[in-house]
Amino acid sequence: MSSGAGREAVFPTRQSLGLMKSKLKGAETGHSLLKRKSEALTKRFREITRRIDEAKRKMGRVMQIAAFSLAEVTYAVGGSNITYQIQESVKSARFRLRTKQENVSGVFLPQFESFSTNDAKDDFGLTGLGKGGQQVQRCRETYRRAVETLVELASLQTAFVTLDEVIKVVNRRVNAIEHVIIPRTENTIKYINSELDEMDREEFYRLKKVSNKKQRDQAATDKELQRQRKKTDGGADDEPPDVLGTQEDDDVIF
Amino acid sequence: MEGMFYNVNGGFVEGIVRGYRNTLLTAQNYSNLTQCETIDDVKLQLGPAYGDTLAALPPNPSTSSLASKTTEKLVADFRYLQAQATGSLAKFMEYLTYGYMIDNVALLITGTLHERDTRELLERCHPLGWFETLPVLCVATNIEELYNSVLIETPLAPYFKGSLSHQDLDELNIEIVRNTLYKNYLEDFYHFVNNHPDMRGTPTAEVMSGVLEFEADRRAINITINSFGTELSKSERQKLYPQFGKLYPEGSLMLSRADDIESVGLAVSGVGDYKSFFDQMNQSGGVGAGNMAGGSANEGKSLEDLFYQKEMELSKLVFTHQFTHAVIYAWVKLREQEIRNITWIAECIAQNQKDRIGNYITVF
Repeated sequence: MSSGAGREAVFPTRQSLGLMKSKLKGAETGHSLLKRKSEALTKRFREITRRIDEAKRKMGRVMQIAAFSLAEVTYAVGGSNITYQIQESVKSARFRLRTKQENVSGVFLPQFESFSTNDAKDDFGLTGLGKGGQQVQRCRETYRRAVETLVELASLQTAFVTLDEVIKVVNRRVNAIEHVIIPRTENTIKYINSELDEMDREEFYRLKKVSNKKQRDQAATDKELQRQRKKTDGGADDEPPDVLGTQEDDDVIF
Repeated sequence: MEGMFYNVNGGFVEGIVRGYRNTLLTAQNYSNLTQCETIDDVKLQLGPAYGDTLAALPPNPSTSSLASKTTEKLVADFRYLQAQATGSLAKFMEYLTYGYMIDNVALLITGTLHERDTRELLERCHPLGWFETLPVLCVATNIEELYNSVLIETPLAPYFKGSLSHQDLDELNIEIVRNTLYKNYLEDFYHFVNNHPDMRGTPTAEVMSGVLEFEADRRAINITINSFGTELSKSERQKLYPQFGKLYPEGSLMLSRADDIESVGLAVSGVGDYKSFFDQMNQSGGVGAGNMAGGSANEGKSLEDLFYQKEMELSKLVFTHQFTHAVIYAWVKLREQEIRNITWIAECIAQNQKDRIGNYITVF
């Protein structure tokens, strides 16, 4: 496939071929799994993006209303030091956060949940008793909603960032497996196969050579043997001479 | 006859105040203001009325700095009048500042209770409620010292004495302290305008009684409505009602027993004005009694708006009387409302909420 894939530094043996084959199989399974994970994450990611968009728009509206209700308070109270009074009269936070984790295909996404402590009584319920108390309370409610929206948005944003990171990592792995590990393993397998084939051919040739040599040797020894046997048995061993033949007999010399 | 010698002492100041009254913004000015696109335009429109005070503002000033500058103008004018005033008029003007002093002292008490550096709070104090010995209160580090300094150093001592001890400052909610002081202040002011030899039987007594009674009733009604759903008990609430006014005593008694808006409406039904307020509020389907309840400007005015409107009308009527100190009171109230109107309009422009911009109150 890719030219840069190269191959792994292994000895082309049958054992490493087996090893490589199982590695390839593992890589393919991993690849499909990671691919699916990445798709699941991306789906989630898109959903979160959409929700962030909604939340941001909502935040814009809510914050505008909240800022305006503060203006109403200033109008009703007459611009005195209501802010300071409220800051000072608050003793404990009524609006709190709880964090939990959500597991999306192995990724832990932090989630923020807001809740208010009901046991603590209203710290500045009496602020603006003379005038403007109602506005102060209404403003508080508006800002409460604004903070709720902010918390929701924060939760989404954190998830967004975390998911983004994870998706990048997963995609990198998928690409690495797809474009590097699998080709390289395939190359290695090819290499091992070719080496093994080469070795097979060499072996075959060598064997052929050896058997040829053996045949030749055999033939040589046979001849030798025949000759010796002829010597000993007078040559009548394997073929009776055609005594009636027309050819001239060898002169027998004694 | 009672006006025969008024001008000997008070004529000059009254003349000036009537001049100031003519520079108040009119409905025409306000409709010009609402057409503005930016705060700079607002500044430009305010030019004739406020002149140099706004010149120092940077381009596109924040609404709060606009408000503080306009307040500065009010304070400067007030201080000028105060410097001209003599005799009972000077005393009368001091009484006007006591209301702001109460706010300032309450602020310092809050600071001391939470062990803050009260010196920083001096900047936040309302300049009209500033008195020379105010910084002395910052020396106090605990509430008992503060209580003693207040008794010694401030003109508010009579309001503290008798109804609040230094333990009370520690234990009671600061709002209750403030409202107790304010109640004592209103009663004292009422007593002052009706019993001072210079003012008894004069238009001042007559007019001021009217506006102070209205103020007292307004406070009583507001306190009642705002205390719903809080830990303020009914008997404590009753202690905060000023002991005069059109509602006192029957209406106040009924207010102290009220549990919801309807019973408040019932309690005030003896007085025609307040009854019509509640009727208007119910007609417009007012959900809350607060200022600008509901969403848009067309939904009709809320109770607090109606009160402000009434206050402004009363203040306007004060100017029909001659030879009276009350014009100064009325002028201060009108200017305060003007500042709030300006702030509101500026706020609406800055936040691009033009649909509610018409919520200001104008009587001229």
